[in-house]
Amino acid sequence: MRSARSNTFSIAMSTTDEIRRWSEELARDPASLVFLQLGEALRRQGQSEIALKVALRGLERYPRTAEAHDLVARIAVDRRDFVRAADEWEAVLRLVPDHVGAMKGLGYICFQQGRFDDAEWYLAHAGGGDAVSAALETVRRSSGGIPQLEVGSIDAADVSPNKPELPVDPQRLFEDILVDDGQTALLLDASGYVLGGLYVDGDGNDLAHEIGAQLSGISEEVVRATRHLDIGEWKSIVFETHVAVVGMAPTPDQGLVVVAASRATPLGLLRLLIDRCCARTAGWIGRSQTS
Amino acid sequence: MSAHFGSILDDLTRQRGVRASLIVSESDGLVIDASLRFGQNGDRVAALAAAMYRKARLSARAARLGAVAFLQLDAERGRICAVGGRGDLVLVVVAEPSANVGLIRVELLKALEAIE
Repeated sequence: MRSARSNTFSIAMSTTDEIRRWSEELARDPASLVFLQLGEALRRQGQSEIALKVALRGLERYPRTAEAHDLVARIAVDRRDFVRAADEWEAVLRLVPDHVGAMKGLGYICFQQGRFDDAEWYLAHAGGGDAVSAALETVRRSSGGIPQLEVGSIDAADVSPNKPELPVDPQRLFEDILVDDGQTALLLDASGYVLGGLYVDGDGNDLAHEIGAQLSGISEEVVRATRHLDIGEWKSIVFETHVAVVGMAPTPDQGLVVVAASRATPLGLLRLLIDRCCARTAGWIGRSQTS
Repeated sequence: MSAHFGSILDDLTRQRGVRASLIVSESDGLVIDASLRFGQNGDRVAALAAAMYRKARLSARAARLGAVAFLQLDAERGRICAVGGRGDLVLVVVAEPSANVGLIRVELLKALEAIE
Protein backbone atom coordinates (compact mmCIF):
# COMPACT_ATOMS: atom_id res chain seq x y z
CA MET A 1 0.00 0.00 0.00
CA ARG A 2 1.23 3.47 -0.77
CA SER A 3 0.39 6.56 1.14
CA ALA A 4 1.60 10.10 1.49
CA ARG A 5 0.18 10.49 4.95
CA SER A 6 2.58 11.49 7.67
CA ASN A 7 2.60 8.12 9.40
CA THR A 8 4.01 6.37 6.36
CA PHE A 9 6.44 9.17 5.56
CA SER A 10 8.40 8.17 8.60
CA ILE A 11 8.90 4.79 6.95
CA ALA A 12 9.97 6.47 3.73
CA MET A 13 12.54 8.48 5.58
CA SER A 14 14.21 5.35 6.88
CA THR A 15 15.79 4.25 3.60
CA THR A 16 17.40 7.62 2.99
CA ASP A 17 18.58 7.72 6.59
CA GLU A 18 19.94 4.20 6.33
CA ILE A 19 21.82 4.99 3.13
CA ARG A 20 23.38 7.97 4.88
CA ARG A 21 24.24 5.88 7.92
CA TRP A 22 25.74 3.02 5.87
CA SER A 23 27.70 5.49 3.71
CA GLU A 24 29.18 7.04 6.84
CA GLU A 25 29.99 3.63 8.27
CA LEU A 26 31.73 2.58 5.06
CA ALA A 27 33.67 5.83 4.99
CA ARG A 28 34.85 5.19 8.54
CA ASP A 29 35.65 1.55 7.87
CA PRO A 30 36.22 0.73 4.18
CA ALA A 31 36.62 -2.96 5.09
CA SER A 32 33.09 -3.13 6.48
CA LEU A 33 30.63 -5.58 4.92
CA VAL A 34 28.00 -2.86 5.11
CA PHE A 35 28.70 -2.25 1.40
CA LEU A 36 26.27 -5.12 0.75
CA GLN A 37 23.37 -3.29 2.39
CA LEU A 38 24.39 0.08 0.97
CA GLY A 39 24.74 -1.28 -2.57
CA GLU A 40 21.37 -3.01 -2.38
CA ALA A 41 19.63 0.10 -1.01
CA LEU A 42 21.14 2.27 -3.75
CA ARG A 43 20.12 -0.29 -6.36
CA ARG A 44 16.54 -0.25 -5.08
CA GLN A 45 16.58 3.54 -5.27
CA GLY A 46 17.54 3.29 -8.93
CA GLN A 47 21.03 4.67 -8.39
CA SER A 48 22.62 1.79 -10.23
CA GLU A 49 25.83 3.57 -11.18
CA ILE A 50 26.72 4.45 -7.59
CA ALA A 51 25.48 1.06 -6.42
CA LEU A 52 27.80 -0.63 -8.91
CA LYS A 53 30.81 1.39 -7.72
CA VAL A 54 30.07 0.50 -4.10
CA ALA A 55 29.58 -3.17 -4.96
CA LEU A 56 32.72 -3.45 -7.09
CA ARG A 57 34.83 -1.77 -4.41
CA GLY A 58 33.46 -4.25 -1.88
CA LEU A 59 34.03 -7.16 -4.25
CA GLU A 60 37.69 -6.17 -4.58
CA ARG A 61 38.07 -6.65 -0.84
CA TYR A 62 35.87 -9.74 -0.63
CA PRO A 63 36.29 -11.71 -3.87
CA ARG A 64 35.34 -14.95 -2.06
CA THR A 65 32.03 -13.59 -0.74
CA ALA A 66 29.11 -14.97 -2.74
CA GLU A 67 26.77 -12.17 -1.68
CA ALA A 68 29.14 -9.58 -3.14
CA HIS A 69 29.04 -11.32 -6.54
CA ASP A 70 25.27 -11.67 -6.21
CA LEU A 71 24.90 -7.94 -5.58
CA VAL A 72 27.01 -7.05 -8.62
CA ALA A 73 24.93 -9.47 -10.70
CA ARG A 74 21.64 -7.90 -9.66
CA ILE A 75 22.92 -4.41 -10.37
CA ALA A 76 24.20 -5.62 -13.75
CA VAL A 77 20.72 -6.92 -14.62
CA ASP A 78 19.23 -3.56 -13.71
CA ARG A 79 21.73 -2.07 -16.17
CA ARG A 80 20.75 -4.74 -18.74
CA ASP A 81 24.30 -6.06 -18.72
CA PHE A 82 23.25 -9.71 -18.87
CA VAL A 83 26.74 -10.97 -19.76
CA ARG A 84 28.25 -9.53 -16.62
CA ALA A 85 25.28 -10.67 -14.53
CA ALA A 86 25.70 -14.24 -15.79
CA ASP A 87 29.46 -14.16 -15.05
CA GLU A 88 28.83 -12.99 -11.49
CA TRP A 89 26.10 -15.52 -10.78
CA GLU A 90 28.31 -18.29 -12.14
CA ALA A 91 31.00 -17.04 -9.73
CA VAL A 92 28.42 -17.28 -6.94
CA LEU A 93 27.67 -20.90 -7.84
CA ARG A 94 31.39 -21.75 -7.81
CA LEU A 95 31.49 -20.49 -4.21
CA VAL A 96 28.05 -21.72 -3.10
CA PRO A 97 26.82 -24.40 -5.54
CA ASP A 98 23.21 -24.35 -4.30
CA HIS A 99 22.80 -20.55 -4.06
CA VAL A 100 19.09 -20.03 -4.77
CA GLY A 101 19.39 -16.39 -5.86
CA ALA A 102 22.05 -17.25 -8.43
CA MET A 103 19.97 -20.16 -9.74
CA LYS A 104 16.96 -17.91 -10.18
CA GLY A 105 19.05 -15.18 -11.75
CA LEU A 106 20.72 -17.50 -14.24
CA GLY A 107 17.34 -19.07 -15.03
CA TYR A 108 15.99 -15.65 -15.80
CA ILE A 109 18.94 -14.70 -18.01
CA CYS A 110 18.76 -17.98 -19.93
CA PHE A 111 15.07 -17.35 -20.52
CA GLN A 112 15.86 -13.85 -21.79
CA GLN A 113 18.38 -15.35 -24.18
CA GLY A 114 15.93 -17.98 -25.42
CA ARG A 115 17.88 -20.86 -23.81
CA PHE A 116 14.78 -22.51 -22.42
CA ASP A 117 16.34 -25.87 -21.50
CA ASP A 118 19.02 -24.12 -19.43
CA ALA A 119 16.41 -21.78 -17.92
CA GLU A 120 14.32 -24.77 -16.86
CA TRP A 121 17.37 -26.51 -15.35
CA TYR A 122 18.32 -23.48 -13.24
CA LEU A 123 14.77 -22.71 -12.12
CA ALA A 124 14.11 -26.36 -11.24
CA HIS A 125 17.20 -26.23 -9.00
CA ALA A 126 16.15 -22.91 -7.45
CA GLY A 127 13.74 -24.55 -5.05
CA GLY A 128 10.06 -23.83 -4.50
CA GLY A 129 8.00 -20.72 -4.12
CA ASP A 130 5.10 -19.46 -6.22
CA ALA A 131 7.24 -17.10 -8.28
CA VAL A 132 9.70 -19.83 -9.23
CA SER A 133 6.94 -22.34 -9.97
CA ALA A 134 5.15 -19.85 -12.21
CA ALA A 135 8.42 -19.01 -13.95
CA LEU A 136 9.18 -22.68 -14.46
CA GLU A 137 5.73 -23.31 -15.86
CA THR A 138 6.20 -20.49 -18.35
CA VAL A 139 9.57 -21.85 -19.43
CA ARG A 140 8.10 -25.33 -19.92
CA ARG A 141 5.34 -23.91 -22.10
CA SER A 142 7.73 -21.79 -24.13
CA SER A 143 9.01 -22.54 -27.58
CA GLY A 144 12.02 -21.07 -29.38
CA GLY A 145 9.82 -18.48 -31.09
CA ILE A 146 8.90 -16.61 -27.92
CA PRO A 147 10.06 -12.99 -27.97
CA GLN A 148 12.46 -11.87 -25.29
CA LEU A 149 10.96 -9.77 -22.55
CA GLU A 150 12.06 -6.29 -21.59
CA VAL A 151 12.61 -5.94 -17.89
CA GLY A 152 13.56 -2.72 -16.16
CA SER A 153 14.66 -4.19 -12.86
CA ILE A 154 15.19 -7.66 -11.50
CA ASP A 155 15.20 -8.91 -7.98
CA ALA A 156 16.86 -12.25 -7.51
CA ALA A 157 14.27 -13.10 -4.90
CA ASP A 158 11.45 -12.51 -7.35
CA VAL A 159 12.50 -13.73 -10.75
CA SER A 160 9.64 -14.42 -13.08
CA PRO A 161 9.78 -14.68 -16.87
CA ASN A 162 6.08 -13.77 -16.79
CA LYS A 163 6.97 -10.23 -15.79
CA PRO A 164 5.32 -7.96 -18.36
CA GLU A 165 6.99 -4.95 -19.92
CA LEU A 166 4.36 -2.59 -18.54
CA PRO A 167 1.84 -3.19 -15.77
CA VAL A 168 -1.59 -4.24 -16.95
CA ASP A 169 -3.36 -3.06 -13.80
CA PRO A 170 -3.61 0.78 -13.99
CA GLN A 171 -3.30 1.01 -10.21
CA ARG A 172 0.14 -0.62 -10.42
CA LEU A 173 1.34 1.67 -13.20
CA PHE A 174 4.17 3.21 -11.16
CA GLU A 175 4.67 0.50 -8.56
CA ASP A 176 8.15 -0.60 -9.65
CA ILE A 177 9.37 2.97 -10.18
CA LEU A 178 8.66 4.16 -6.66
CA VAL A 179 11.43 3.19 -4.29
CA ASP A 180 9.84 3.68 -0.88
CA ASP A 181 6.50 2.82 0.69
CA GLY A 182 5.93 6.50 1.44
CA GLN A 183 6.01 7.45 -2.22
CA THR A 184 2.95 7.59 -4.37
CA ALA A 185 2.17 8.55 -7.94
CA LEU A 186 -0.95 9.23 -9.93
CA LEU A 187 -1.75 9.79 -13.58
CA LEU A 188 -4.64 12.18 -14.11
CA ASP A 189 -6.43 13.08 -17.29
CA ALA A 190 -7.14 16.65 -18.40
CA SER A 191 -10.29 16.73 -16.26
CA GLY A 192 -8.55 15.61 -13.10
CA TYR A 193 -9.87 12.04 -13.26
CA VAL A 194 -7.50 9.27 -12.25
CA LEU A 195 -6.15 7.15 -15.12
CA GLY A 196 -3.56 5.19 -13.20
CA GLY A 197 -1.59 4.93 -10.00
CA LEU A 198 -2.71 4.59 -6.44
CA TYR A 199 -3.08 6.79 -3.38
CA VAL A 200 -4.02 4.89 -0.25
CA ASP A 201 -3.96 6.31 3.25
CA GLY A 202 -2.75 4.58 6.37
CA ASP A 203 -6.23 3.11 6.96
CA GLY A 204 -6.35 1.54 3.52
CA ASN A 205 -8.75 4.12 2.04
CA ASP A 206 -8.24 4.95 -1.62
CA LEU A 207 -7.92 8.74 -1.86
CA ALA A 208 -6.72 8.87 -5.46
CA HIS A 209 -9.81 10.58 -6.89
CA GLU A 210 -10.02 13.16 -4.13
CA ILE A 211 -6.29 13.97 -4.17
CA GLY A 212 -6.21 14.01 -7.96
CA ALA A 213 -9.11 16.43 -8.18
CA GLN A 214 -7.56 18.76 -5.61
CA LEU A 215 -4.06 18.83 -7.05
CA SER A 216 -5.01 19.01 -10.71
CA GLY A 217 -6.40 22.49 -10.10
CA ILE A 218 -2.88 23.81 -9.58
CA SER A 219 -1.98 23.16 -13.20
CA GLU A 220 -4.62 25.65 -14.39
CA GLU A 221 -2.90 28.42 -12.43
CA VAL A 222 0.48 27.28 -13.69
CA VAL A 223 -0.62 27.42 -17.31
CA ARG A 224 -2.03 30.89 -16.75
CA ALA A 225 1.17 32.12 -15.12
CA THR A 226 3.52 30.74 -17.77
CA ARG A 227 1.39 32.14 -20.57
CA HIS A 228 1.19 35.64 -19.14
CA LEU A 229 4.85 35.72 -18.15
CA ASP A 230 5.90 34.42 -21.56
CA ILE A 231 8.28 31.81 -20.18
CA GLY A 232 7.16 28.99 -22.45
CA GLU A 233 5.44 25.71 -21.70
CA TRP A 234 5.66 24.52 -18.13
CA LYS A 235 7.73 21.42 -17.50
CA SER A 236 7.18 20.70 -13.84
CA ILE A 237 6.09 22.17 -10.54
CA VAL A 238 7.47 21.03 -7.22
CA PHE A 239 6.36 22.12 -3.80
CA GLU A 240 7.35 21.23 -0.28
CA THR A 241 4.82 21.02 2.50
CA HIS A 242 5.41 20.28 6.15
CA VAL A 243 4.91 16.56 5.60
CA ALA A 244 5.60 15.96 1.93
CA VAL A 245 7.28 16.95 -1.28
CA VAL A 246 5.00 16.92 -4.30
CA GLY A 247 5.92 17.12 -7.95
CA MET A 248 3.71 17.46 -10.99
CA ALA A 249 4.41 17.41 -14.69
CA PRO A 250 2.16 17.63 -17.74
CA THR A 251 1.70 14.68 -20.08
CA PRO A 252 1.51 15.09 -23.87
CA ASP A 253 -2.27 14.59 -23.88
CA GLN A 254 -2.96 17.41 -21.38
CA GLY A 255 -2.94 15.05 -18.45
CA LEU A 256 -0.90 15.30 -15.31
CA VAL A 257 1.55 13.09 -13.45
CA VAL A 258 1.59 13.70 -9.70
CA VAL A 259 4.29 12.24 -7.45
CA ALA A 260 4.27 12.68 -3.67
CA ALA A 261 6.93 11.54 -1.26
CA SER A 262 8.04 12.09 2.29
CA ARG A 263 9.50 15.45 3.27
CA ALA A 264 12.84 13.72 3.72
CA THR A 265 13.01 12.86 0.02
CA PRO A 266 15.64 14.99 -1.73
CA LEU A 267 14.11 17.26 -4.38
CA GLY A 268 16.56 15.89 -6.95
CA LEU A 269 15.26 12.37 -6.36
CA LEU A 270 11.69 13.62 -6.62
CA ARG A 271 12.46 15.16 -10.01
CA LEU A 272 14.02 11.87 -11.12
CA LEU A 273 10.87 10.03 -10.07
CA ILE A 274 8.71 12.52 -11.98
CA ASP A 275 10.81 11.99 -15.12
CA ARG A 276 10.52 8.21 -14.79
CA CYS A 277 6.78 8.34 -14.17
CA CYS A 278 6.33 10.58 -17.20
CA ALA A 279 8.36 8.18 -19.34
CA ARG A 280 6.27 5.27 -18.04
CA THR A 281 3.08 7.19 -18.78
CA ALA A 282 4.11 7.83 -22.37
CA GLY A 283 4.73 4.11 -22.97
CA TRP A 284 1.58 3.06 -21.18
CA ILE A 285 -0.70 5.46 -23.00
CA GLY A 286 0.92 4.51 -26.30
CA ARG A 287 0.24 0.84 -25.60
CA SER A 288 -3.35 1.55 -24.53
CA GLN A 289 -3.97 3.39 -27.77
CA THR A 290 -2.57 0.61 -29.95
CA SER A 291 -4.24 -2.30 -28.12
CA MET B 1 11.62 50.07 -1.97
CA SER B 2 11.76 50.15 1.82
CA ALA B 3 15.26 49.92 3.27
CA HIS B 4 14.57 46.74 5.25
CA PHE B 5 12.95 44.72 2.47
CA GLY B 6 15.18 46.37 -0.12
CA SER B 7 18.40 44.82 1.12
CA ILE B 8 16.76 41.39 1.36
CA LEU B 9 15.42 41.62 -2.18
CA ASP B 10 18.69 42.98 -3.54
CA ASP B 11 20.53 40.01 -2.05
CA LEU B 12 18.14 37.68 -3.84
CA THR B 13 18.38 39.51 -7.16
CA ARG B 14 22.17 39.36 -7.01
CA GLN B 15 22.02 35.56 -7.28
CA ARG B 16 23.16 34.30 -10.68
CA GLY B 17 20.27 33.98 -13.12
CA VAL B 18 17.70 35.82 -10.99
CA ARG B 19 15.63 38.30 -13.01
CA ALA B 20 13.35 39.61 -10.30
CA SER B 21 12.51 39.19 -6.64
CA LEU B 22 9.35 40.38 -5.00
CA ILE B 23 7.48 40.38 -1.73
CA VAL B 24 3.83 39.84 -2.45
CA SER B 25 0.61 39.71 -0.51
CA GLU B 26 -0.81 36.25 -1.10
CA SER B 27 -4.40 37.24 -0.44
CA ASP B 28 -4.69 40.06 -2.99
CA GLY B 29 -1.64 39.54 -5.22
CA LEU B 30 -0.34 43.07 -4.72
CA VAL B 31 3.36 43.94 -4.67
CA ILE B 32 4.67 44.96 -1.27
CA ASP B 33 8.22 45.46 -2.45
CA ALA B 34 10.23 44.42 -5.47
CA SER B 35 13.67 44.36 -7.02
CA LEU B 36 13.23 44.08 -10.76
CA ARG B 37 15.57 43.96 -13.72
CA PHE B 38 14.76 46.21 -16.66
CA GLY B 39 11.66 45.15 -18.58
CA GLN B 40 9.95 43.19 -15.80
CA ASN B 41 6.32 43.95 -14.99
CA GLY B 42 6.22 43.59 -11.22
CA ASP B 43 2.47 43.84 -10.85
CA ARG B 44 1.84 41.06 -13.30
CA VAL B 45 4.50 38.76 -11.83
CA ALA B 46 3.18 39.41 -8.33
CA ALA B 47 -0.44 38.69 -9.20
CA LEU B 48 0.31 35.49 -11.08
CA ALA B 49 2.83 34.14 -8.58
CA ALA B 50 0.53 34.88 -5.66
CA ALA B 51 -2.39 33.15 -7.39
CA MET B 52 -0.26 30.12 -8.15
CA TYR B 53 1.12 29.93 -4.62
CA ARG B 54 -2.33 30.34 -3.13
CA LYS B 55 -3.77 27.60 -5.31
CA ALA B 56 -0.91 25.26 -4.38
CA ARG B 57 -1.40 26.01 -0.70
CA LEU B 58 -5.16 25.41 -0.79
CA SER B 59 -4.84 22.28 -2.91
CA ALA B 60 -2.14 20.82 -0.70
CA ARG B 61 -4.22 21.52 2.38
CA ALA B 62 -7.28 19.93 0.81
CA ALA B 63 -5.15 16.94 -0.10
CA ARG B 64 -4.08 16.73 3.56
CA LEU B 65 -0.46 17.33 2.71
CA GLY B 66 0.03 20.25 5.10
CA ALA B 67 1.11 23.83 4.51
CA VAL B 68 3.21 24.68 1.47
CA ALA B 69 6.65 26.00 2.38
CA PHE B 70 8.46 26.21 -0.96
CA LEU B 71 7.23 26.11 -4.54
CA GLN B 72 9.20 25.84 -7.76
CA LEU B 73 7.81 26.09 -11.28
CA ASP B 74 10.04 25.13 -14.20
CA ALA B 75 9.14 26.31 -17.66
CA GLU B 76 10.99 26.32 -20.98
CA ARG B 77 12.33 29.85 -20.62
CA GLY B 78 12.19 30.56 -16.92
CA ARG B 79 11.68 29.47 -13.37
CA ILE B 80 9.54 30.82 -10.58
CA CYS B 81 10.35 30.03 -6.95
CA ALA B 82 8.22 31.12 -4.01
CA VAL B 83 8.25 30.68 -0.25
CA GLY B 84 5.59 31.60 2.23
CA GLY B 85 5.44 31.56 5.97
CA ARG B 86 2.87 31.92 8.68
CA GLY B 87 1.46 35.21 7.46
CA ASP B 88 0.24 36.63 4.19
CA LEU B 89 3.66 37.44 2.74
CA VAL B 90 5.12 35.41 -0.10
CA LEU B 91 8.65 35.86 -1.40
CA VAL B 92 8.89 35.29 -5.14
CA VAL B 93 11.89 34.95 -7.42
CA VAL B 94 11.79 34.80 -11.21
CA ALA B 95 14.93 33.23 -12.64
CA GLU B 96 16.57 31.95 -15.81
CA PRO B 97 16.21 28.23 -16.55
CA SER B 98 19.96 27.89 -15.93
CA ALA B 99 19.83 29.44 -12.45
CA ASN B 100 21.01 27.36 -9.49
CA VAL B 101 17.65 26.67 -7.91
CA GLY B 102 19.16 24.92 -4.90
CA LEU B 103 21.00 28.08 -3.96
CA ILE B 104 17.96 30.24 -4.65
CA ARG B 105 15.87 28.02 -2.37
CA VAL B 106 18.35 28.42 0.47
CA GLU B 107 18.48 32.19 0.01
CA LEU B 108 14.68 32.41 -0.17
CA LEU B 109 14.25 30.50 3.08
CA LYS B 110 16.84 32.71 4.76
CA ALA B 111 15.11 35.82 3.44
CA LEU B 112 11.75 34.57 4.69
CA GLU B 113 13.16 34.23 8.19
CA ALA B 114 14.41 37.79 7.99
CA ILE B 115 11.05 39.30 7.01
CA GLU B 116 8.90 37.30 9.44
